[in-house]
Amino acid sequence: MNACYKSQQTIMIRRRVRLFFWPLLALLCCPLDTLAGVIAHAGVELRSLSIPSLRNIYTLRQTQWPDGQPIVVFVLPDDHPVHERFAKDTLGIYPYRLRQIWDRQSYSGMAGAPIEVRNEIEMRTRVRSTPGAIGYTSKDMAHEGIKTLKLD
Amino acid sequence: MKASRRSSWIKPGRVGLLLMGLASASAGADDSKASRIQIQGFAAQALIGTSHNNFFGDSQNDASTEFTEAGLHGAWQVRDNLRVSGQLMYRRAGETDTDGLRLDYAHVDWRFLQDTAHQTGVRIGKVKIPYGLYNETRDVPFTRPGILLPQSVYFDNSRSLVLAAPGMFVYGGGLHDWGSTEWSVGAIRPDFDSAAVEYNFLGNDLPGKLKGQHAFGARFRWDSPSDSTLALTYANAQADYAPSALDPFSAGEVDFSNLMLSVQHRLGPLTLTTEYGQPRVRLRGFGGFLPDSESPAETFYAQGEWRFAPAWELLVRHDVFYRSRKDRNGRNFEALTGLPAHSMYAHDTTLGLRWDATPSIMVRAEYHRVNGTAWLPGPDNPALLSRTREWDMWLLQAAWRF
Repeated sequence: MNACYKSQQTIMIRRRVRLFFWPLLALLCCPLDTLAGVIAHAGVELRSLSIPSLRNIYTLRQTQWPDGQPIVVFVLPDDHPVHERFAKDTLGIYPYRLRQIWDRQSYSGMAGAPIEVRNEIEMRTRVRSTPGAIGYTSKDMAHEGIKTLKLD
Repeated sequence: MKASRRSSWIKPGRVGLLLMGLASASAGADDSKASRIQIQGFAAQALIGTSHNNFFGDSQNDASTEFTEAGLHGAWQVRDNLRVSGQLMYRRAGETDTDGLRLDYAHVDWRFLQDTAHQTGVRIGKVKIPYGLYNETRDVPFTRPGILLPQSVYFDNSRSLVLAAPGMFVYGGGLHDWGSTEWSVGAIRPDFDSAAVEYNFLGNDLPGKLKGQHAFGARFRWDSPSDSTLALTYANAQADYAPSALDPFSAGEVDFSNLMLSVQHRLGPLTLTTEYGQPRVRLRGFGGFLPDSESPAETFYAQGEWRFAPAWELLVRHDVFYRSRKDRNGRNFEALTGLPAHSMYAHDTTLGLRWDATPSIMVRAEYHRVNGTAWLPGPDNPALLSRTREWDMWLLQAAWRF
């Protein structure tokens, strides 16, 4: 995992090997069911996030970044394969359970439900343009203007 | 009576004033933040059949279609620490709820202390009442463990009492290595003003009017890192009876209190839940026709939900209600009043199946085997003596959300 993330953070190397080495490398160091990558708005002042923190954010219990900025949570539809993988493998929570938690909080007025986007393209666009945003994508690579958060 | 009280909440003037106030509050805020508005909603229709007795309409002779729920929920993040939420709700539930469209709740939430791990705030308005695990979202079919909530703890026949009421709650939350905590303490003016509530507390729809005076509520909740939950709820509510002109009953007083423990444990796709409560109803000063009494009731259920496939869930539940711990089988009550003993208890064994056809469409089926009539809705079964002790109920429900 870690090695995999580090390899992607070294942008120079990635650019050079992207054509055919990178997919091979990805296969070697990240298993096929690679975890979804966590992304955030470029203005978020964090490089990494612990799994418990990520879980607190996605269960709407932590609503602020350490600098006080409100967190805006983006999600894919409940039955999207990338969402299923993110929920089960990264958060360790079943998608139906996440939905229960969001419903409990949002319908009682305790917190806002996460903002649902239709697909990964919209996910990247919205995370890039929304201050304080957090989201996830399947492809574990950097996107221009978006921060990739390391999980530890 | 009910209608007039409710309409005072949704008077256009008052809503307009509220919106104007909010608009001016947001004027100073950053545009991108002020536009954070969320709208969501749902609609559900059920079919209910019973072998004996009626539940939400004429379910005994026909399949009742009189259980309809629809809600439109809105929330507006006015500022980072100021949030306004509310829900418009349509509900029909046999003769127990014929009010149609109403404002379910509307509150302003001001979070005056907040950092990454702690938050403290206050909710003011017509606020949702924290009560057990399911109460605040009890009308959203998707959030319930079944088509019906366990009737012992969540008594649909006097739901208005615990639903939402004018008042305020102070709340707080904390994140720790050992899980997250959540507490709320508040005071409200409780809503005793319905025939169903009178049936439940006074045994009948009396000629006068029961008026909620004040209530106090508190809940503490702990969620472990493995997503298990422990909660303790306390509630106390008082109401006065205002007799009508030719009323055989005098100006009495009802005092209701409850202490409830909720435990939920998760083992992968299996969710085990139990809630135990000891509600106490005290009647004073109603005169000779309704002697002073104190009934220490007992309510509990144990429930298992099994997500055996991503879109399928099985429900098994056993739910028990005793109107009096001192008279569980109701024999003393029968000897004293001549009314059936089975109106003092109810044992309900439930089997249910849920299918999430798509993320926005859910279909459910449920079967109840019930022994006892303690939580039968009074307005659907006005004749006390024609209620049957052992009865079956089946329900089908389709729900849609957006």
